[in-house]
Amino acid sequence: MNALLEQFVLEARDSLQGIAEKLMALEEAPDSAELMVELFRLVHTLKGNSGLFEFPEMTRVLHAGEDLMDSVRNGQVAYSRELADRLLDAMDFVGLLMDEVEATEAIGPGHAETSNGLAQGLRALIPAADIAEAIPLADPAPPLAAEASALAHIPEAARIAAWREAAAGSALFWINYHPDDESFFKGEDPFHQVRQIPRVIWGAAVARAPWPRLADLDCYRCQTDFQLLVATARAELDELFRYTPEQVSIQTVEPLALVVPQGHPNGGPVYGDFVAEALQLLAADDVDGLQAAARSLLELSSPALWLASDLRWLLAIIETAPDRREILRLLIESLNTLTQPDWNGLSMAAAAAEHVPAPAPEVEPPVFADEDRARCHAILAAQAEILALADTADWLPGRLKAVAKTLSACLAYQGECVDEVEEALAAALSAGSAGPLRAWLAAQEGSTPAPAPAKLAPEQRNGAAASIPSAAQIIEETLTADARESGGPGAGEGPKFGRRADDAQVGKILKVDQAKVDLLMNLIGEMVVAKNSLPYLANRAENQFGVRELSREIKAEYAVINRIAEEMQDAIMQVRMTPISFVLQRFPRLVRDTSRKLGKEVELVLEGEDTEADKNVVEALADPLVHIVRNSLDHGLEMPDEREAAGKPRAGKLTIRAAQESDRVLITISDDGRGIDPSVIKRKAYEKGIIDDATLHRLTDQEAINLVFAAGFSTAEAVSDLSGRGVGMDVVRGAIDRVGGTVGLTSEVGKGTTLRLSLPLSMAVTNVMIIEANAQIFGIPMDMVVETVRLPRAGISRIKQKKTTVLRDRIVPLVALNDLLGVQAESVANADDELAALVVRIGGEPIGLLVDEFREVVDVILKPLPGEFAKLGCYAGTALLGDGSVLLVLNPKELF
Amino acid sequence: MGIVYDKNRAHFADFVSVEDAEGLLEWLQANPKGKLDLAACTHLHTANLQVLMAAKPNIVSWPENASLALWIQGALGFIPGA
Repeated sequence: MNALLEQFVLEARDSLQGIAEKLMALEEAPDSAELMVELFRLVHTLKGNSGLFEFPEMTRVLHAGEDLMDSVRNGQVAYSRELADRLLDAMDFVGLLMDEVEATEAIGPGHAETSNGLAQGLRALIPAADIAEAIPLADPAPPLAAEASALAHIPEAARIAAWREAAAGSALFWINYHPDDESFFKGEDPFHQVRQIPRVIWGAAVARAPWPRLADLDCYRCQTDFQLLVATARAELDELFRYTPEQVSIQTVEPLALVVPQGHPNGGPVYGDFVAEALQLLAADDVDGLQAAARSLLELSSPALWLASDLRWLLAIIETAPDRREILRLLIESLNTLTQPDWNGLSMAAAAAEHVPAPAPEVEPPVFADEDRARCHAILAAQAEILALADTADWLPGRLKAVAKTLSACLAYQGECVDEVEEALAAALSAGSAGPLRAWLAAQEGSTPAPAPAKLAPEQRNGAAASIPSAAQIIEETLTADARESGGPGAGEGPKFGRRADDAQVGKILKVDQAKVDLLMNLIGEMVVAKNSLPYLANRAENQFGVRELSREIKAEYAVINRIAEEMQDAIMQVRMTPISFVLQRFPRLVRDTSRKLGKEVELVLEGEDTEADKNVVEALADPLVHIVRNSLDHGLEMPDEREAAGKPRAGKLTIRAAQESDRVLITISDDGRGIDPSVIKRKAYEKGIIDDATLHRLTDQEAINLVFAAGFSTAEAVSDLSGRGVGMDVVRGAIDRVGGTVGLTSEVGKGTTLRLSLPLSMAVTNVMIIEANAQIFGIPMDMVVETVRLPRAGISRIKQKKTTVLRDRIVPLVALNDLLGVQAESVANADDELAALVVRIGGEPIGLLVDEFREVVDVILKPLPGEFAKLGCYAGTALLGDGSVLLVLNPKELF
Repeated sequence: MGIVYDKNRAHFADFVSVEDAEGLLEWLQANPKGKLDLAACTHLHTANLQVLMAAKPNIVSWPENASLALWIQGALGFIPGA
């Protein structure tokens, strides 16, 4: 992606967000001129930027939005809910396009219709006086009668040609192209545009009004319309008029509407004899005779006569659709009156069904570029190669399935049936050999059209090798193309463009790709590790080499480097700090939409949006928060009537409050809804078998409420459908846990529910305590550690099989870390026969972890375990220590 | 140069751009009986087409490009029914 586009995507996202925010704010204060101007500016900027690229669909919607906002700003239109809804829809659409741009760097022409619909919807809200240029929009389809008379103006020869096209299966379109007056100034050439249309049957340039005297003519105002009858595919037309769909009306033409005999009546209807004879022939099914009769009469008549025209049509229809007796009959009978036959009730579509099985005109056969076909072929060849491998591998079934999948996808793309692949796969799997698939593929190779230099005949099993280079080549091509695209910083970057002058106020903010900041973060992490090795060096200097002086100097130097590194780390963390508003800003919209859907009235209060936390933490917060808010809306808050009956205001109140408390971010989500009834929770948990009978009676209300976090409390549906069942809170807790946060829930029946999330400010640096067990060192995150104590053996007593001790009048269970890790070793006591116990708090309860020795506390950059190891929940990750050794950091929550 | 004017005759080059329209209009006003030679022309901008349609000038040779010839003849009413 080039730098300019990248910039655009970044800014567009911001703008969209801003627009949504302003719209929400306007809902509160619909008269605020300031907000309105701001909103206009945002839409305007976004439109302007989108115009830099080939995104006509996007620009069109934004342009309509801009016009609408302009008239709102000027007071011509009042802000309304409907207006907000349409604008939001339009912005959602733009967001969708942005997704596509980000993924493919382009927008497919398929969005033209939606785009036009949205733009029209927006413009419909603008008072008519303002939208002279949009008049064709209001009347997109002229009445059919107008079309019919317009068609009648087309010369007969062209109409007959069109009829033949239609009889051969083409769909006909009538195009009325009404270029904008100012189109020349926009660099358009409507005539050129029109001449780009393939398969034009007839076309004309028509003056909109009689031409003025040459002296008064303004040749730079477009006053010419174009009318065309074409047999072009609709998709092609849409593509051609992609930039100006509002200036063109495209209608399907019923071929029968073309059958309009014209000419001089020459004394009126006097062809009774011919009509009688022709009808007789028709009744006798003698089409050849009818043709001959019509031909001879045509030769005798002047070509300018109505009669001749009718006969020419008759002949054309005999030739193309001889089975349409009804049409022929009506044409012949019309000679009695010399009036237009009435085609009502007949259609060409019926004709197609009646006679030749003409291909359905709408369905375009998939068009394959040679290049595509070659690629498909290469893919098939690669599959053949895979199938030719030995069948002995253990993973054969997997391999076969993979091949079958590839083949199916490939065939489906080519529009071929994939059932056979499935059959061959089933046969191959049951036979435990690639044979059936290989045989099928070989047969397929023979029957599918090969690319230009045809290769791979069925017998060429080994010959597959011939095409392997091409397969490999293609893969290589793809890879290099990818590499080009994703090339390192600066690789494929074009010139950097300056920002627009009117956006100057944001010029002080530098937008940086997150990956770059992450790189810095990693580098400073390494720096911290490297710096931590200096004290080791100092120790060696002193102890090993006995140079105290040097050791002291190293230590002094270390202090300096340490200070700089820490400041640097702080600074980088600051860069990564993101205000919580990043996630909170979506809630006004979400609450508005959801509450309207549920028929509830909700007042959302956001506080402390500018509280900052590490970007990863803030991002990790997004999904759980959405889940929590939806739960509150869905289950917490009551319907307005119910609230009124309970003596509460009709509108429920949902508060999301963020605040910083030392190195944690606290987020409180509270509603004043019906609250959680502990007895209901207890009963439900009991029914689901999460708690047993004894627990059921023992649980306090608070403990009962906490059960909603229990895994398994939520049903399967609840997990898949976020707004589901009011449960699924274990998912929330899981997500918060992962970033080292905690969740607390309090609730009072009838008064409401409050959820408290506590999250670390940053996840980058973790403070861990190093402990030793069985001669190995482990880290324990400091925020889990309550205290470290030395316990004399005498102070340890056993309750049943469990070791316990009493600390400050409280019984604390003791567990040996060795036991937890499955190490067959006793805890080692120190010289005074004291055991080292690290007291950690798990689920609010202290537990003593018996270890061999405590060591120092260090700051480390915690890296998650790679690959499959990440599933080992008992380890939070690894860190590199200053002496180069690796520290495994335990996750005590998962240890027990 | 899209159009070359000599005395009472204007020769159209293969492509006549939007900038040429004004000149053409002025020339046709000054030479109402001027003759146009479109033989070499393959495309002309809509603005020129409009001038031709409004002025209905004397065209001595139609474009050799058949499709353009058809369009212009149609626009100037040389084909019945158009």
